[in-house]
Amino acid sequence: MTEAKSETGFDPELYKRFPTSGERPEGELEKLEKIWCGPKGWEWITVINNNYVGVYYIGAAMLFFVLAGILSLLMRTQLALPLNGFLEQETYNQLFTMHGTIMMFLFAVPAVEALGVLLLPQMLGARDLPFPRLSAYAFWAYLIGGLAFFCSIFFGLAPNGGWFMYPPLTSMTYSPGINADFWLLGIGFIEISAIAGAIEIIVGVLKNRAPGMTLDKMPIFAWGMLIFACMIIIAFPSVILATTLMELERAFGWPFFDALKGGDPLLWQHLFWFFGHPEVYIIFLPAAAAMSTMVAAVARTPLVGYRLVVLAMIATGFISFGVWSHHMFTTGMPSISIGFFSSASMAVSLPAGIQVFAWIATVAAGKMRFSTPGLFVLGSLTVFVMGGLTGVMVAMVPFDWQAHDSYFIVAHLHYVLIGGMVFPFFAAIYFWTPMSSSRPLSERLGKWVFWLMFAGMHIAFLPMHLTGLMGMPRRVYTYLPDRGWEIPNMISTVGAFLFAVGVLIWIVDMIRNFRPFGPRDAGNVFDSGGLEWLPTGLYSTRSIPIVTTRYPLWEQPNLARDVEAGRYFLPDAPTGDRETLVTSPLNAEPQYLQRIPRPSGWHVWAAVFTAGFFLLLTIQAYWASAVSGVLAVYCVFMWGWLLDRPRIQPTVDIGAGIQVPTYMSGPRSHGWWAMVITLVVAGMILVMTAFSYVFLWSRNPLDWIAPPQTGLIIIATMYAAALVAVRASNAVLVADRPRSPQLATALMLGALALAAGAWWIDLTGWWATGLTPQVSGQGATVFYFLSWQGFFVGTSAIMGLFVLLRFLTGQVEAKRPATFELIGLYLAYTAGQGLISVLLTRLFPGG
Amino acid sequence: MIGCADKREQPRELTGADAANGLAVIERVGCAACHRIPGVAWPTGTVGGSLDGFGNQSMIAGRFPNQPQTLAVWVRDAPSMAPATGMPAMPITPAEARDVAAYLYTLDDD
Amino acid sequence: MTEPIDGLQGWPPPVLDPAGPFAGPVNTLSWALFGIVIAVFVVVMIALGIALFGPRSWRRRIGGEKVLWGLGLAFPVVVLSALLVWGLGLTAQLSEDPDPSEMRVRVTGEMWWWRVAYLDAQGNEAFQDANEVHIPVGQPVVFELEAADVIHSFWVPRLGGKMDMIPGRRNILRLQADEPGSYGGQCAEYCGGPHALMGLIVVAHTPEDFAAWRAKQAAPSTGLVAASALPVAAGRQVFQASGCGACHAINGTDANGQAGPDLSHVGSRRTLGAGILPNNQGTLAGWISDSQAIKPGNRMPAYPVLTGQQLRDVSAYLESLE
Repeated sequence: MTEAKSETGFDPELYKRFPTSGERPEGELEKLEKIWCGPKGWEWITVINNNYVGVYYIGAAMLFFVLAGILSLLMRTQLALPLNGFLEQETYNQLFTMHGTIMMFLFAVPAVEALGVLLLPQMLGARDLPFPRLSAYAFWAYLIGGLAFFCSIFFGLAPNGGWFMYPPLTSMTYSPGINADFWLLGIGFIEISAIAGAIEIIVGVLKNRAPGMTLDKMPIFAWGMLIFACMIIIAFPSVILATTLMELERAFGWPFFDALKGGDPLLWQHLFWFFGHPEVYIIFLPAAAAMSTMVAAVARTPLVGYRLVVLAMIATGFISFGVWSHHMFTTGMPSISIGFFSSASMAVSLPAGIQVFAWIATVAAGKMRFSTPGLFVLGSLTVFVMGGLTGVMVAMVPFDWQAHDSYFIVAHLHYVLIGGMVFPFFAAIYFWTPMSSSRPLSERLGKWVFWLMFAGMHIAFLPMHLTGLMGMPRRVYTYLPDRGWEIPNMISTVGAFLFAVGVLIWIVDMIRNFRPFGPRDAGNVFDSGGLEWLPTGLYSTRSIPIVTTRYPLWEQPNLARDVEAGRYFLPDAPTGDRETLVTSPLNAEPQYLQRIPRPSGWHVWAAVFTAGFFLLLTIQAYWASAVSGVLAVYCVFMWGWLLDRPRIQPTVDIGAGIQVPTYMSGPRSHGWWAMVITLVVAGMILVMTAFSYVFLWSRNPLDWIAPPQTGLIIIATMYAAALVAVRASNAVLVADRPRSPQLATALMLGALALAAGAWWIDLTGWWATGLTPQVSGQGATVFYFLSWQGFFVGTSAIMGLFVLLRFLTGQVEAKRPATFELIGLYLAYTAGQGLISVLLTRLFPGG
Repeated sequence: MIGCADKREQPRELTGADAANGLAVIERVGCAACHRIPGVAWPTGTVGGSLDGFGNQSMIAGRFPNQPQTLAVWVRDAPSMAPATGMPAMPITPAEARDVAAYLYTLDDD
Repeated sequence: MTEPIDGLQGWPPPVLDPAGPFAGPVNTLSWALFGIVIAVFVVVMIALGIALFGPRSWRRRIGGEKVLWGLGLAFPVVVLSALLVWGLGLTAQLSEDPDPSEMRVRVTGEMWWWRVAYLDAQGNEAFQDANEVHIPVGQPVVFELEAADVIHSFWVPRLGGKMDMIPGRRNILRLQADEPGSYGGQCAEYCGGPHALMGLIVVAHTPEDFAAWRAKQAAPSTGLVAASALPVAAGRQVFQASGCGACHAINGTDANGQAGPDLSHVGSRRTLGAGILPNNQGTLAGWISDSQAIKPGNRMPAYPVLTGQQLRDVSAYLESLE
């Protein structure tokens, strides 16, 4: 095997120093344990260690699964008989909306994200995630927001427009209550949560792997999570934009989706489904990657076609962004669009098929054991293949013209989601519980759980294929008798309850056997080959191993013994704090030591106030919401203040005499990556805004008025100057001249002033034309560009304040340029975004 | 004492009438558009009275004795008995009317 | 099983029981797709079965990357490409532009009923109806689909696929019935409230019967001629006095409201309430008095102020409008 060229200049010969010999010093392990100690009392809430947050997260996700499942049982009871009076029309409409919304937003995405939080650090040989407070914040915001959102049912205020909430039904005219606002703002948390998680995962997977774990040796689950996170970054901005635009339309009458005023209901559909379709692959890919992991482990043989599977997952992610309009085949699209989306939709099944055959090949190459995870894996394969095949059917447009919005689609979507995510997730729970709990789950009960869920699932959803062909549309709270729909509906209801009994037994099993947070775990019950099965404490592994294969526990002899004895990297805590190694993205060569913060309350309070901001806004308590928002910003401020600390020593020994820096700035640093990813999210929102602008123009070109005739040059110049000032600020700081801190601060604030001024001129210019946001699609989109830019100018101002405070407290120095760099990136983006916005709105279509 | 005999005990029978068919007729012509009728899930009309427990009622529409022959005429052509009633004549045959009456008499309080 | 009032029988499944050339080829495609996916599923299950339980030599053959390239990539590419060609071809065939000579009907989706307008040769509305669409057999009919409020979807499965009705757009759907009869359908895009109770009927006639029907519909109802006869005259007065004409139009009278369904020939419709109630004087009286109890949330208020006599009179009047 050819050795990879060194990526960073790190000499691979240094690896030969490991495993080190001899005993580790006295007290080193105790010191590690003390630094990584578990929570006591209130600390259970402020804890940030992934071993805790991961379990909390999965617990919350499963809670929402059960809650949404109960809603479905109520729905199925109502539909068991025609014209049943069990649920009233309005109640049913709210319940089906909540069932879909909770399953998709509060269960599916958080669950797979939670799996990543729990497993990835240990799988990759890291001590924790790179931004543990960020994932803890994401969790608390999600939990608080999600529970509050769920409680809207008890007040009759749950949204009732279906989980994809099409306007005009969800506009103020036809949904005057705050139900729709609950959805729009409720989804707000999930969006924040998902993006925070995605940043965490991308950086964690690419920068925190054990040395030697090249991309080619990375666990397949990490690949799945990486692609998942990248997809979130590209897809979620679309739904963030859509929900923001709808809230603006509802609250202020900006007509994005109102055909009477120059908007278009199809704009929502495009924006939503550009997110919505990748969303289901976002849900599927981590589960599929977990399948690939578990199939290999349970069959006790390496995954067949690892590289093909990686390529297949990447291809799935990629192609899934090109199929969104297959949800819109019946909207009257032009034939050429229909053809494109139909082709892409057929194509996306190919990489999924490759994964399925990789699993079958792996089973063939090994010896499958019919443990509970094994059963769930096999069951999932069967169900997912069926769902994928009906997906191919509906990718054929003439068939979709009959099947769309009927129970055939309900059948298809449940087959792919249950087969593609729920069953793999249950397999994962049974498989990885021994890693977190001192007792594994019961194999005896597990088989009951599986067979009840498997049988119940088919009994519930297989008849729905027929029901749809019998003419039953989706989202009906009842149906007329004498059509023959009664029999399949009754069968489906029975199946649903059978499935629920299976879940109930699983809950009982969890209560009886799941014992997390204890001093020891149940061990490598399934004899798996991944690093997460090394003996660990709260500090993860005692030392960070060098990885040379894909299945270290199978193929690197004595690894567990040597890791536990501290014979690899970082057996101690050289800075006396929580640390992990940062390595290079391709070859995982050690780059620097990352200091991980300790728990504090700020991120929890930030989550509470973030949740408060959105919820109070929903119930129209505007002043309270504003106060909550300000407090949230303050908490984030304090949270960030603790970062970018003075460094105690420039380099440390991470093992066997190898020295790495303790501080990093620039494109190598994890903070830089996080900021760039955040800006990609912002950029995607900008792209989708531009799409919306051009789309609405194409629908109503005659409504467009001429842009302001003056100001373009000066605005563009000011934004360009801001960009230059940012660059200069960073350069000046690093140049380390006597007055560098003052100059750098002044340049940064100057850049801010330039950007703010440019924005103001842009805004007043448009205002002077007499265009208002309520009057046309142009008004709505132009003022949205301006509002979005205003939001960035505002947050840049807050960052400017941060910079000023750092300067005044003497924290600005050449040796610690990270804060300036990151804020500089943000400010530069703000200027760039402003430039693009002004060019688009004033030059296209022009006039 | 005989005058106080419980007149409710007089059996309400319609010879040769089919209560099951009566329910089918009720559904076919849509009586539930105005009346809440046990055995018919929808609609649950509120224009006329609920027919829950009709089998035990002593009067029809608060005016007429609740007897088989009377009821059979009523359900088919109520205006002929009570000109001001809101219940129109219904498109059912006399035999169907008897079936409907038979069904209504199965509706007692339990 | 009694015949459902709107003709939408569940068995045989209407998607697989085509009644015209816009549904027939889709039915063929559906069966082919079922056959193919079942065959593929069987192949996958056999492969899995061999992988789990098969003899070692068989398992070794499956346990390699070749299976991924062959079964996982090459085979699906061939099958999917063939299907795609078929699908796109059929799509093009079903979405051919209408011929100018084809009859046009404009159906507007309302919450929660269907406004039907028959167009003349110049494309103007000749007369209106509601919830039922009558067409001649043996020829394509062009449906112009619009929406008055929110998104609805027009679906008559035995005649063809569905098409959405989107505010601000006009979508075209061509359908054809080959045999006379009633073809039921239902709104297929969630439109809030009683979306589940928004049914529709397409009635196909022989060309002669259709011509007669159309002539009769275009003119005011002959029932109006009997307006002097009680109780219909009394009913007509109740109709006028209660202000029903503010929402409903009756051709030949001065009632010309556009908010609700046209009632010019309501007596001849097969159903009331958009396919959910049988049509007779009793159900009509029940609907008028309290339609909210029947179809909660619908746009027609209840009329508890009408006396029993008034109720019977007005429903007799409307039933006479055939």
